[in-house]
Amino acid sequence: MTKKFKLAPVFFVGPHLILFIVFILLPTIYGIYASFTKWNLIGDPVWVGLDNYKTILFDSGSTFHKQFTNGLENTFIFVLLSVPLLIVIPLMIAVALEHKGVKGKSFIQSVIYIPGLISISAAALIWALIFNKQLGVTGNVFHSETVWAANQPYAWIIIIVLTIWGGVGGNMIIYRASLSGVAKDLYESAEMDGAGAVRRFFSITLPSIRFPLIYTFVMTTAGAFNVFGQPLMMTKGGPQESTTVLMMSIRKLAFGTGESIAGMASAMAVLLGLVILVISALQYYVMNRNAN
Amino acid sequence: MSTQVSIDKDLTKVRPVAQKKDQPRAGRISKAVAYVFLAALCVIWAIPIIFGISTSFRSQTEVVSSGFRLLPENWTFESYKAILENTSTAPIMQWLWNSVFIATLHTLLVVVVISITGYGYSRMTFKGRDTLFFTLLGISFFPGVVNLIPSYKIIDALGWVNTSLAMIIPGLAGMGNIFLVRQFMNSIPKDLDESARVDGASDFRIYLSVILPLVKPVLIVCALFSFTGSWNDFLWPVIVYTDVTKMPVTAGLLLLQDIYGNYRMIGQLMGSAILAIIPTLLLFLFAQKYFVQSINLNSGIKG
Repeated sequence: MTKKFKLAPVFFVGPHLILFIVFILLPTIYGIYASFTKWNLIGDPVWVGLDNYKTILFDSGSTFHKQFTNGLENTFIFVLLSVPLLIVIPLMIAVALEHKGVKGKSFIQSVIYIPGLISISAAALIWALIFNKQLGVTGNVFHSETVWAANQPYAWIIIIVLTIWGGVGGNMIIYRASLSGVAKDLYESAEMDGAGAVRRFFSITLPSIRFPLIYTFVMTTAGAFNVFGQPLMMTKGGPQESTTVLMMSIRKLAFGTGESIAGMASAMAVLLGLVILVISALQYYVMNRNAN
Repeated sequence: MSTQVSIDKDLTKVRPVAQKKDQPRAGRISKAVAYVFLAALCVIWAIPIIFGISTSFRSQTEVVSSGFRLLPENWTFESYKAILENTSTAPIMQWLWNSVFIATLHTLLVVVVISITGYGYSRMTFKGRDTLFFTLLGISFFPGVVNLIPSYKIIDALGWVNTSLAMIIPGLAGMGNIFLVRQFMNSIPKDLDESARVDGASDFRIYLSVILPLVKPVLIVCALFSFTGSWNDFLWPVIVYTDVTKMPVTAGLLLLQDIYGNYRMIGQLMGSAILAIIPTLLLFLFAQKYFVQSINLNSGIKG
């Protein structure tokens, strides 16, 4: 063992370490600190203890409480509507693509994957036109008389449609790669034993791709909690704030017009972060336990 | 062992005889179901893009008077002419250039940073190496929403608001790609470095001429996803750019809803969206196999 301090690792690990400290560690710590302060983003934060949290969570007369509960509720609605579809549809596609007789697999895969490479703002402009009453598909082909973005449940439907359209490709690729790794002889012997397609799916396919399933479920859910672009572009949070998600409230408080209320926004961000952490941990725990 | 295998084989050969008749029909039905399902999805998935492209080639009067059509009656470039002429309120070419510049530089730096850092955490030995790595990895799992507001403050303090650096640099701090590169490097035999070291090669030499060529596949994948990720980032540019001439195209398109508002200039709106799509689409067409190969998660995490 030599006691000499080696310099070489500093050059390899050091630059990233500095980036990590400046752009991840510091802002995270500061974000938690700011949540206990009154801060306008320009001056120095003033310590107020738990005041922000008390207001957000318990002061039912305050607008911050209303913004938070409404934003969190709408975020949960989005998660509950989108995540199951973002798991089940890609899984169905991957299983269908595994079918021996299907031709043109890579073409089909590309068509479904490409929307995932399109930015939310470009995709939203196109979908907004499709759902436009006068000019789009819903009005002209299906003769719907409603303005979809301004009425529920249609406002949620267009947000979810946009999300699903752009979101299934990534998980589909992961499931396809995992399914191709499942040993073929497992299926064959199950088929010989007379197990039907449904039975084979639940007793061979699902257990074999357990890890990718947990991974995609946790990541997709965490991503869905950060939803921002789809409601901003499609409905501007309406009608009557019914699609205003928490990220929109946080952005409006911290970076909106008028004086910044960054301390309050930071507290909301910390609460959203905690929700994401707890739910990710729960998902991982429950799915891992059930699989064993 | 070998006898066991042969017995199994024999059993499987004998057993299915009774069901053989039903199988082809079940197979045909499930094949038909799979086809119908996939075909329907393909149509639904493709229509918006085709519709967007075709609308960008229709005149405003045609769109308003004849309603929904999949293809234009008369093809016209007037929308694209109008888009290119608007260099004040919606400078789309400037936005596209900003996005190309940001995404390209970000991607190049990502490749440099993740390969060098990955080498440090995989091939070098120093005290507390793995502790440091897993500590950073653990911290990076903390939801990013918490550091959003202070990140803006840091960018502001560095004087990077409304500059490309605001989008190029912070993303380099991420741990995900470094984790992948480290996993990949760990699977490369140590003998390779040892023999190079015996020949007197320095760490930098080994990184450059032994390890880098071997990890090229994973670096390409990381580069492609960094490029598309940077190109499509939305929340962050909406926050850090207020200057219309400096912003990337995703943030620019948000402004278009107001500029070409209420769908009075639909052609322009669709044309701009299509122009914003083209670069990542081209990238996909040229590098398709890298996008869809996916890192196998089953083996990836155990390794």
